[in-house]
Amino acid sequence: MKDRTSASSKRNRAMNLVLIITSIIIFLPVIVTLLWTVTGRWPWPSLLPETYTTRTLHEMFFGSSNLWAILWDSIYIATAVAVLGTIIALLTARATEIYRIRGRRLIGYSAMLPLLVPGTVFAMGIQVILIRMGLGDTVTGVILVHLVAALPYCVTIMTDITAAVGNSLEEQAQVLGAGPAGAFMHVTLPQLLPGILSSASMAYIISYSQYFTTLLAGGGKVKTLALVMVPYIQSGDRALSSIYAVTFVGSALIVFFIFEALIHRIVGDAK
Amino acid sequence: MNRNKIAPILMIIPFLLITILVLAAIMNILLQSFGYMPVFGLYDFTLKYYIEELSRPEVLQSIAVSLCISVFSSVIAAVLGTLICAALVYTGRTRGGMLYTVRLPILVPHTVVAVFTVALLAQTGLFARVGYALGLISDYTEFPGLLYGTGYAGVILAYIWKEAPFIAYFTLALMASISGTLGEAAENLGASPVRSFFHITLPMSMPAIARGFLIVFIFAFGGYELPMLLGATLPKAFPVYTYIEFLKPDFKLRPYAMAMNGITLILSLLIALLYAIMMSRLLRKIGGDYER
Repeated sequence: MKDRTSASSKRNRAMNLVLIITSIIIFLPVIVTLLWTVTGRWPWPSLLPETYTTRTLHEMFFGSSNLWAILWDSIYIATAVAVLGTIIALLTARATEIYRIRGRRLIGYSAMLPLLVPGTVFAMGIQVILIRMGLGDTVTGVILVHLVAALPYCVTIMTDITAAVGNSLEEQAQVLGAGPAGAFMHVTLPQLLPGILSSASMAYIISYSQYFTTLLAGGGKVKTLALVMVPYIQSGDRALSSIYAVTFVGSALIVFFIFEALIHRIVGDAK
Repeated sequence: MNRNKIAPILMIIPFLLITILVLAAIMNILLQSFGYMPVFGLYDFTLKYYIEELSRPEVLQSIAVSLCISVFSSVIAAVLGTLICAALVYTGRTRGGMLYTVRLPILVPHTVVAVFTVALLAQTGLFARVGYALGLISDYTEFPGLLYGTGYAGVILAYIWKEAPFIAYFTLALMASISGTLGEAAENLGASPVRSFFHITLPMSMPAIARGFLIVFIFAFGGYELPMLLGATLPKAFPVYTYIEFLKPDFKLRPYAMAMNGITLILSLLIALLYAIMMSRLLRKIGGDYER
């Protein structure tokens, strides 16, 4: 017995070590990039910057760059994708899981199709079609293309939760005299909320991250954060590309934590 | 009763419209790759463009580069991801701070991953500076050129940084539930923890690991940002090369670019098919119906 506990504590130590190394590798580039945003001079081979400055930061946020407009556009597009993607996924999940529509298997496979077609291939194929639809270089076109990328995840999440929640309570409410809409709104929707929020946050992140699809559908005219930071990376400007990177991840994290806090509140309330 | 027939059809319409958009894009690529472009007076159906593309050494080399990137990055990411997942499950950290840490790389887009990679792996990056401080190298030119080189090491490492946590997170729910039930049962019946992991928990978690692997593999194979930002000028990763051909203004050349897209598409679907066959074998082996 003693042997067994010492073996298991050794195993736990090894597993903890794995997690510590993982955390270091995950946070190290984040810390270095944060340092770069306030670096004045960081010559080889110093381990830390020689001088610090907030000049670049100041220029980015309050200077002539239209960062705020780009940030707003990115948030607008990602929010639209989150809302539309989740609504479409919810409708699809109810059609397959509650109404047991015919061809469920086929619908399931079609939902996964965008994961099997690389984004670059899809974007080059859809560009001409968007132009013919009059949606080339428009925000609507970009939203549509992002929706395709996000939908597999939204459908998976919404299908799982719809199947888990079921509709027995909703039917009971209807038997007791509630209308179908009322029964859904008051009985099922609150139970689906955690799924709705995690689907929306996933779709948001996916849209926010798109580069190639935005470039092709938006033709360079629709500017998102992911798009405008690339030239700075290409030119090797570490300070500016680091500021863009931090703004990008920071703003995504803020939205993500808002969603996350909402989920916890709702799940907490339900208990 | 009538309502119950019409309602689901109305509900599925938005989804169908999006699916049609995907299929239209695929059709467009295939038609143009066979040389069918009515707008420009091209009406033939020919395999000419595929044959010409596949007989060019640059194209074959570029496909090989992309396959290498995706094989190395996704195999290593799957192994490390499974290890991280097991570490999360066995230390009981399936929620809270550690989980947020593991989820961070999933939230970071590839363009930002490129910035991170440069900060660490460039010849004047942090690792090179640490190497100098430790006396391992005497000049930054001695640090291995991981970025912009033909070996694509920086691209592969960047994908691993992002995809290993993805696989860990993707597998977590399944592995936690198996380890807590069947894995524990095996240990109670006298199996050592290692044996219980390799004989019960790991094989039963395979469906999630394999699915995550497939997603990551196809993504890396068709990925553009990382090889464009961190890769070599020659040979280029296949999607980067394809996009350059796609940008050529002469529309008569468009079928060549589309044939390259067709090759990527067909290879991705073949890999997915291979996955489906292997999964059905695996499921027969571990028994039970897992397919939803």
